[in-house]
Amino acid sequence: MWTIIKHTLRRMRGQMIGWGIGLGIYVLLMVSIYADIQQIDFETIWQSYPQDMMAFFGDALWQFNTPAGYLEVYFFNYMPVIIGIFAVGACASLIVGEEESGTLDLVQAHPVSRTALFWGRVIAFAAALAVILLVTWLTWLLPVGGSSLDLTVIEFLRPYLPLFAELLLFGFLALLLSMLLPSARLAGMITGGLLIANYLMVGLANINEDLQPIVDYTPLHFYQGGDAVHGLDWSWLAGLLAVAAVFTLLAWWRFMQRDIRVGGEGSWRVPLLKGRKQAAS
Amino acid sequence: MNETAAIKTDGLIKYYGNLQALYGVDLEVKRGEVFGFLGPNGAGKTTTIRCLLDTIHRNGGSVEVLGFDPKEDPVAVRKRTGYLPGELSLEGNMTGRKLIHYFNELRGKQANWSFIDQLAERLELDLRRPIKNLSHGNKQKIGVLQALMHRPEMLILDEPTTGLDPLMQQEVLKLICEAKEGGATVFFSSHIMSEVETVAERVGIIRRGKIVEVSRPEALKARALTRARVRFKESVDIDSLGKIEGVSVLSKDDSTGAYLQIAGEIDALIKGLAKYPVRDFHTERPSLEEVFLAYYGSNHA
Repeated sequence: MWTIIKHTLRRMRGQMIGWGIGLGIYVLLMVSIYADIQQIDFETIWQSYPQDMMAFFGDALWQFNTPAGYLEVYFFNYMPVIIGIFAVGACASLIVGEEESGTLDLVQAHPVSRTALFWGRVIAFAAALAVILLVTWLTWLLPVGGSSLDLTVIEFLRPYLPLFAELLLFGFLALLLSMLLPSARLAGMITGGLLIANYLMVGLANINEDLQPIVDYTPLHFYQGGDAVHGLDWSWLAGLLAVAAVFTLLAWWRFMQRDIRVGGEGSWRVPLLKGRKQAAS
Repeated sequence: MNETAAIKTDGLIKYYGNLQALYGVDLEVKRGEVFGFLGPNGAGKTTTIRCLLDTIHRNGGSVEVLGFDPKEDPVAVRKRTGYLPGELSLEGNMTGRKLIHYFNELRGKQANWSFIDQLAERLELDLRRPIKNLSHGNKQKIGVLQALMHRPEMLILDEPTTGLDPLMQQEVLKLICEAKEGGATVFFSSHIMSEVETVAERVGIIRRGKIVEVSRPEALKARALTRARVRFKESVDIDSLGKIEGVSVLSKDDSTGAYLQIAGEIDALIKGLAKYPVRDFHTERPSLEEVFLAYYGSNHA
């Protein structure tokens, strides 16, 4: 399994470096302007904005001058969507991507069990995600930010745990769908759509209360974001991790049952797309 | 556990959704044997091979490879097997050496690098180049190399010489023969009849997901249609030759020569020709390709 983990990490190193550097620069920018932003009277500015728009972004905007509010608004609020792009994309093609390129057939002819291959890939993805988050966490801790934001190392770390859990959940949902749907791209598109829809619904539920009962059962409802600076909700965190674990176990079970595809055999087409394809031909 | 058979399948069945690909494949390959597996595209060669390695799960029947059931213990089978897929795809962003290193690590470092380098030299393969810059033929050489590098007990090769130039095809066939001499069992599929004739001790023909014949190449050829060219000293009634049992006239050169096809024994033709003044007579042995076509006719799969 170690060989699989190493190899997968090697394949993901470009993404790790790209995402790590990109987000690191962004965080560096955010920490460097924090002190200046504190001088701005945001309360007056926010009051001039339409109420519905303010409601969409929730209470965090009103706490913009606090370190937790700042972290929430500028980072943790939308990082599930931003880093979610990496998580969903990487997981949708974690195994099926290699299957679609035809290389998995040969790898699976080597003395590696499907279980080892699957869990090796899953562990490598989790490690790659952790590395990206670690880079941003370390960047927040750089002296310029650490001193001005006035938070401890642990306080900086806390919101990363729900973010990590949320990203695992959506990533492993993409992995599960990739095992069920005919292509990695479709699995990624559907999961990405669900993630964005969930993000928008959480905001819209602040405007339209009718949405709240639906939002209450969606993953992002249980996402603490920057609030976690003050303390973790362990039951929410455990719940997110448990759902992520269920998705992974179901994906593993499905991978054990199914055939490794080479030339698209054993695949299926979404009926609507199938009709269009036939009409085109 | 069957001690003598390297591969044994009984009633192997495979479905892809509602489509049945294998209709009860019965096959037995002896240990140390080179077994050629013939059939056109879509007949079930690759499906059978992938069931042997359990990269796809069978839906019925039993399979035993080197004494192991691939469904129960796929790792044990793969550890002892070298496999070259028919549709070879390799990761493009690595050099050949790094890819072989990865495969060797997956094998628990079963192969030693001096043998790998020796194989690379024989195949005229530069392992320092990135895979994406290699030609189709050179990628195929990497496929051959990774299948052979750990000196497996069993070689399963799906179209091993695809994309190779004739000289390299010969080298690969030589490597297959050397593996056999080293005690390995070789199971290889091909639609190049000449290479099957050269190296295979027995041949199995698969058609529409069923084994239709397993025999020695010579026996298959002997059983197939024979062709004969006959020339007479004077004009004869060529059409009357077509009335001899099993004989059909393919072409005639005026009334003193004919090109005949004989199904089954040639005895009736010889007796029929005794009535005529024969100047010259010779038969042609069919190639395995002709035997193959006799099984398939113009239809495929």
